[in-house]
Amino acid sequence: MTQTKTSTKKQLNLYSVKESFKKIVFWYAFISLIVGLGFAILYPLIKMIPTVFNNLEDLGNPDVVWVPMEFSIVSFEAAIRLVFGNGMPMVQSIIYAAAIATIQIFVCALAGYTLGRVNFWGRNIVMFLVILTFVVPPQSLLISQYLSFKNFDILGIFTAISGSTIDLINKPITLFLLAIFGFGVKQSMFVFIFRQFFKGLPKELEEASLIDGCGFYRTYFRICLPNAIPAIMTVGILSFVWNYGDTYYTGFFHPDGPYLSIKLAQTFSAANVNNILYAVQTWYNVPGANVFAFDAVKQAAAFIYLLPLLIIYFAVQKKLVQNFEQSGIVG
Amino acid sequence: MEDTAHKGRRFQISHMNMRKIHGIIFVLPWLLGFILFFVNPLISTIKYSFHKVGVADSGGMSLEYVGLQNFIDLFTTEVSSQSTQFLRIFTDENVDIFINTPVIVIFSLFCAILVNANFKGRGLARVIFFLPIVLGLKVVVDLTLVTTGGDVANASISQTFDNGFILDFLREYTFLPRDITRFISELINGVFMLISQTGVQTLIFLAGLQSINHSLYEVAKIEGANGYEVFWKITLPLLANITLFAMIYTFVDMFLKSSISTEIYYFAFNKNSIGTGSALSVVYLLNVLIDLLILMLVINRVVKPYDSN
Repeated sequence: MTQTKTSTKKQLNLYSVKESFKKIVFWYAFISLIVGLGFAILYPLIKMIPTVFNNLEDLGNPDVVWVPMEFSIVSFEAAIRLVFGNGMPMVQSIIYAAAIATIQIFVCALAGYTLGRVNFWGRNIVMFLVILTFVVPPQSLLISQYLSFKNFDILGIFTAISGSTIDLINKPITLFLLAIFGFGVKQSMFVFIFRQFFKGLPKELEEASLIDGCGFYRTYFRICLPNAIPAIMTVGILSFVWNYGDTYYTGFFHPDGPYLSIKLAQTFSAANVNNILYAVQTWYNVPGANVFAFDAVKQAAAFIYLLPLLIIYFAVQKKLVQNFEQSGIVG
Repeated sequence: MEDTAHKGRRFQISHMNMRKIHGIIFVLPWLLGFILFFVNPLISTIKYSFHKVGVADSGGMSLEYVGLQNFIDLFTTEVSSQSTQFLRIFTDENVDIFINTPVIVIFSLFCAILVNANFKGRGLARVIFFLPIVLGLKVVVDLTLVTTGGDVANASISQTFDNGFILDFLREYTFLPRDITRFISELINGVFMLISQTGVQTLIFLAGLQSINHSLYEVAKIEGANGYEVFWKITLPLLANITLFAMIYTFVDMFLKSSISTEIYYFAFNKNSIGTGSALSVVYLLNVLIDLLILMLVINRVVKPYDSN
């Protein structure tokens, strides 16, 4: 009797040991995966930190890899002097991205609402067209879009009025036109997100407001739009990030604009290496600065450039998942 | 009585019609844009691709019909800015995209499942795992890339992530064919590129995972299913539609970033041959659409059995 009792106890112990061993191994593997992947994602950023804080003349020295011998912020100073100036370009870029994001939200929400909610004739066709515009890369239409902006005209109206077509290339209005008419950065996807969201919104909301005497527009602006906060947040964040980082639309349709993204791309192009090196060498009296200094300055610029994005990202990250889940892309 | 009922119905119909009209007013900006910035450029791109485009004496454009000559030139005589043949570029890009798309999608699903689990510091892990949305921007990738002294940079990366041991192990002790080990090693070497593409997809998958009804997992647990079965029989089937969306998103994104788009610019503005550039655009467009069609057919086959459940 006592013998069997002890044996079961022993077995139980063995079982629990096995289980806890399993748990520990699993936990260890899991945590190492998370940490490893997290490290791999952050690696480009981590790798930049020693470079940008390094003394420019020490760069490329094989003895200095992770810990700078002499702490210096010359690369940041150079980057600010080269690109950011008094901070105006950054403010302008942020304002531009925010403005375009607002326009995109407004236009896409309108289209998405109709596509999700109003059963008009040809709705499926329009939906198909939205998906088609999503999968067609805008680059394939670049040439003729460029030419049509170069000689901009709607049905010959402008020619009739002023006698010639309008050159819209290198004017900020071109970018706003694209956004207003739904063809800015990844705008078809935003229409799709809004459509999915409004489709999942309870029908009762609209019916109640209709019975209370709201018209179509009032229902939309007073009831539906305020309820679409998750979708608005999602689209707003993605749109802001993508417009802030856009080099395609800004680079082709308004190349002389104050946008940081194209300014950075132009300044730190491969053809410009020697100019920048010369400038850095003379400005900060570091004749020993070599090609690695170019990378250091470039990465310092990347840091400054990323700063507003990272701030916004960290501010909203908690809501991001929650909103995305509710934004209806899932449904 | 009859009159009011009739009136009521008529009111209802006209109300519905009004709603439709208002709705069409809402899509009108987009439809206008569709004609202005999509149909119109599309038609003229196709038109230019069959013409030799030059400058007329009056300052406008002169079009001279040349038939398929632009397309023939594109694949026979013309070379890209890196002086490679276009047939080669297209094959390389397609192979790359078809290999990388599933890898990116599976990888981001994996990431999403990891950060969906409950553990301490999950918030921080999520922040890091979505960071590629920001860090994957083209301009950021270009800026953080070490352009000068590329050899040194590559050496330092392989120092940090020494995969020689893994490759030796795969080659010597498993009986995998050479091609597969090479494929694995290429994936490992390109891991930063892969990771930088995953942000949005991870977000999509995580949202999908959280929308799965929790009671399903409880039922499975009570029925005695293990984690493996739960994943294959509950999680994956319920994510089928999301996977399709993530797949298409990745696919389109990869095409956007492919080198062909820079070649279009090179032809149109550096070489000033709009006709050939347009021909390239048309081929590029057809390539995307055909690839998507193939992708859809393949996915439909995989997804359909799940969909009916």
